[in-house]
Parts: sequence; C-alpha cells; structure tokens
Amino acid sequence: MEQVIQFEDVVKIYPLKAGDVTALNHISFSVERGEFISIMGPSGSGKSTLLSLMGCLDTPTSGSISMSGRAIRNMTDEELTSFRRDKIGFIFQYFNLFPLLNIIENVSFPQMLRGGVDEEKAREVLRAVQLDERLFTHTPLELSGGQQQRVAVARALINDPDILLCDEPTGNLDSKTGASIMELMTELNRKGATIIVVTHDPNVAKYTSRTIRIVDGCIAS
Amino acid sequence: MIFWEIAKRNIRIHMLRSTLAMLGIVIGVIAIASMGILGNSLVSSVSDSLKSVGDSVIVTPYSGGGGMGPGGGGGGSSSASLKITDQDYQQIKRVVAPNVATPVYTTSDHMKIGVGSDDIVATMYALPTTDVPDIMKLQAGDYNNGNSGCLVGSTFAKDHNLKVGSRISIGTDGSKGTLRVTGIIEERGMSFDISTDNALVVTPEWFENAYNRNKDYDEVVVKVKEGDTATVKTTIEKQLNKHKDAKVVSVTDSKATLASIYSTFGTVTTFVTAIGGISMLVAGVSIFNIMMMSVNERIKEIGIMRSIGTQKREVMSMFIYEAAIIGVIGSVIGGALSVLAGYGISALMLGTTKYLFTIANALSVGEGVSFGIVICLLCGIYPAWQAANLNPIDALRHE
Repeated sequence: MEQVIQFEDVVKIYPLKAGDVTALNHISFSVERGEFISIMGPSGSGKSTLLSLMGCLDTPTSGSISMSGRAIRNMTDEELTSFRRDKIGFIFQYFNLFPLLNIIENVSFPQMLRGGVDEEKAREVLRAVQLDERLFTHTPLELSGGQQQRVAVARALINDPDILLCDEPTGNLDSKTGASIMELMTELNRKGATIIVVTHDPNVAKYTSRTIRIVDGCIAS
Repeated sequence: MIFWEIAKRNIRIHMLRSTLAMLGIVIGVIAIASMGILGNSLVSSVSDSLKSVGDSVIVTPYSGGGGMGPGGGGGGSSSASLKITDQDYQQIKRVVAPNVATPVYTTSDHMKIGVGSDDIVATMYALPTTDVPDIMKLQAGDYNNGNSGCLVGSTFAKDHNLKVGSRISIGTDGSKGTLRVTGIIEERGMSFDISTDNALVVTPEWFENAYNRNKDYDEVVVKVKEGDTATVKTTIEKQLNKHKDAKVVSVTDSKATLASIYSTFGTVTTFVTAIGGISMLVAGVSIFNIMMMSVNERIKEIGIMRSIGTQKREVMSMFIYEAAIIGVIGSVIGGALSVLAGYGISALMLGTTKYLFTIANALSVGEGVSFGIVICLLCGIYPAWQAANLNPIDALRHE
C-alpha cells in the first residue's frame, strides 16, 4: 500500500527561555492511503505538535517527515502553504468557517486559492456531506454547529486532498450530532479518503481502524 | 477575487469605523488640495495684476540700496539729489538700441478736481508723448494731449468721476496750472515701471516748466523687444556702473523680479500645503490604527486561512485592499469637496473664483488625492505585513 505519511525518528523541540521543551521525542510511524486513524493522548502529550507537523504547519527539529512522497523538512513557507492547499484538508473543533463568506463561498475558498472556482463541484460536495441545499447561500452564523461542521468537512474535501486532518471534530458538538459527523467520516473513508483524527474522546476513536497513543512525546502504542 | 471581496465586506460590517477613517482622509485631502488651490489662485491673481509688467528694464539713480526704484512703489518718493542725468540717459539710450529707452519724471502733488472739491494728493508721471503708446493703452480719448492735456489712470478716473474733457487744478490752490483730461488709461495693475492706475500722465514739457526740471530724470524705462531683459540689464550696468565704488544707477529686470515673486508665492504655497499635510498624517495614523485593530480582531481567521493554504502575499493583499478602498473613497470624496472648499476660500480671500478651473488647481487636487491614497497604502502596509507573518499555529490558537 502507498504511504501518505511517514515519520522517521522525528524530534520537535521548542526552545523556551525557561529551557527547551521536547514535544515529540524520536517518533516514527506511517499512515497508508485509505486508513482511518485516531491519535489519542492526554493534554500536553504532543498531540497538537504532531498535528501541526502532519498538517505541514511546522517542520521538525530533527528526523524526517514525508508527506505524499515529499520530504517537508527543507520546504519553503510558500511550498508548505501550497502543499497544505493541494494535499491536506483541515477540520477543526470550532468549525472555523469565514463569517464574511456564505456557505458556497466558504467551501469554494480553497478552490479560489488555486485560481479556479467550480461552483457546481462545491454544491456537489455540500450535497455529499448532506447539507440542505437551501442553506447554501446562508452565512455560517445562521447554521447550527453540526451544519457548520458539515460545511467545514466539505471545505476540507473540495480540493480532493490526500489526507483529511481532524482536530477534535466533535469536541464542540452534542453527542448525537458528533456521532452523525463521525458517520460521515466513516462514509468518506469507505469511499477512499485517508483520515486522521486527533481526539481524547474514546467514542470518536472507536470509529477508526487504528489508534496511535502518545504519552510525553513518545508513541505508547 | 475573493480577498478583494473579503476586504469590501469587512469594511461594510465595520461601517462606522471605516467611515470615520475615511473622514480623516477626506479632511486631509481637503486641507492639502484647497491650500494648493488657494496658493495657485493667488499666483494667478498676482500674475493678472502684473501682466502689464511685460519685458521691461527699469533704471533708477543709485541710492546705495536695493534694486526697487522710485517708480516701483507708486513714485514720488525720490530724493531731489538722486536723478538720472541727460548724459546718463543718452548713454542708456545708445546701449539699449534698438530697444526704446523712455525717460520718466515723477512726483506727487496736491490737486483739485472741479470747483469746491477736496484737495487730494496724487502721483504724476511725465514721459515723451511718442513713447506713451508703447507703455500704456487707452480705454477712452486719445494720446495726443498737447501741452496742457493729461491722461488719467482708470481707477483715478473712476474714483474722482473724471471723463475726457474734465479739468484738474495742479498744486496747492492750482499754483501749477490746470490740466484737461484727454484720455483715460486702461487698467495696468501693479507695475515695476510706472503704476498709472491711480496716477496722472503729463507731458515732459509741461512738467519741466511746472516743476522747474531740466532733463534730470527720476527713472528710465526700457521696453525690451530685442534680446532678453537680463542681457539689457547687464549691458546698462556695464556701461554706467564702470567703477565698482561709484555706481551711478540701479537696474531692475522686471522679469527676474517677477520670477522671484512667483518663487516666493511658490514657497508660501508649499508651506501652507505642508500644514495641510499634517492633517493628512493624523488621518494616516487613524488608518494605521484601524488596520491594526482589523488585524488583531482577525488573528484566528488569518490562522485558518494560512492553515488551509493561503499564501502570505494573499493575506497581505487582503489588508492592503482594505486600506486602498478606504484611501481611494476618502481621497476621491476629499478631492471633490476640496474644489468646493477652494471655491469658498477663493471667493472669500480673493473676492473672485475666476482662477479656480486651471490646470495648476487640477494638479493640486490630483496631488491631494494621490497623497491621500499613498498615505493610506503606506499606513496599511505594516499591519498587512504583520498579519501575513503571523505564525499559523499561534494564530489558530488565538481566542
């Protein structure tokens, strides 16, 4: 199987005035295309740092990271940004839609960054995440939390990314809505999407096929 | 273009804040452009007043001081001992040929117009009848005024209700005789050679007889038709002021004086415009302030944009667009209003608005508008740069 993420002996140290903090300590793992993985761990374990590195928002202090076959260590900010735009879809806990744009515009935003807009595709993706068509021209604040998270999923999918990175995707939803979002993720995974969910909720982790546990910057299991 | 759209919408949802920032720019542009309009209109107005100065060189007796001679300020103030002798005049005439050198007598005296009128004091010039048409035009009557005829300036005629044929008694109790008005001189405005608007022009023969003068002139006016005024000035100085320690004449080049007057007005215009510029700087600070507020309010949004693949330059463009929209709208409104302000100031200070629609004023408005836009863009650059360079991870965590 093709590896979409490969971490080899990755160390991430944050130099602080009070002393260096080692957030990730010699981590190695890989993710294959089509996997549905959860990353779990207590607060301060290094989950967010791992997410930042997988999301190409940061580079490691040492070790190598390969994303979709490309080593990210020596990539410039511009290259990392383009990589995020084309290869990674982000889903956040607080939905993080743009309040000034309507639903169609929010979903089309990553397309616009690539220089082309295909509104029909945006509608298609929104229909795929089961959002009522009447809401397409509304603004995010006019939608419920669950509806907003569906829009966020649609936005993450619009550029056909290699990986979907989800940071506590149900953390701000009630359990019923959270379950429906996880069912949507499962459905997307069944259709071939590679999904990584960072969470501390075991109910979320049970939807995934593999769980990576992190404790004190190291992989525990 | 999505970032342009976001910039527009952000301005719209913060309408009050954006309007206040625009108002600052509007005021700044009005201050700069209307001051420029006032300065330009002043220069136009002064040029109009000085239009009859033409290309003349004025030669006055050397008094040890500056260049402006007795004719400049309205005449009549020359000291009895400071005259241009006939010999000097002949020399001037020779060196300036083929240009015409006109010898001028000038004085002030008491005079009475009509029976029972008040005694007034006015300036009188005497110059050869043949040279008069070269220096002034008439609005009524004719030049051929005979020995006891005189020409009067337009303002003088208007103020004292004089017409062709009116009589004026010269000297205390008419001791110098009576002159008949044969012509009224067209308005000449302020002039360096002779200022006729409030004066009388008489014949040299009458003047020499009345004031017991004999070819000792107060000034010589050279109308330069061949060559330029600066060369004529140098030629006269070379010929008459041969000895450095014993100068005979002072020579004033009207063109050079005019140029220095315009340059002074230019400096004044620049100065008042710079004062207007201060209000623009204040407006710039307010733009900077609201742009910083805009960045601070949207840190999380910037983090999301960056994380989903927005380049730094795209984030920067969004804030630059915002500053540009405020700058362009504020500056254009300011430019339009500055024409109205310029109209009001011109009407109030110059008493006329005929100098308003000129190329120089259009340039002043253009400068004000451009300055407003440039200031807005400059004040938007740092906040935009700061937004673009936020660490996406920190920005995403921002609450």
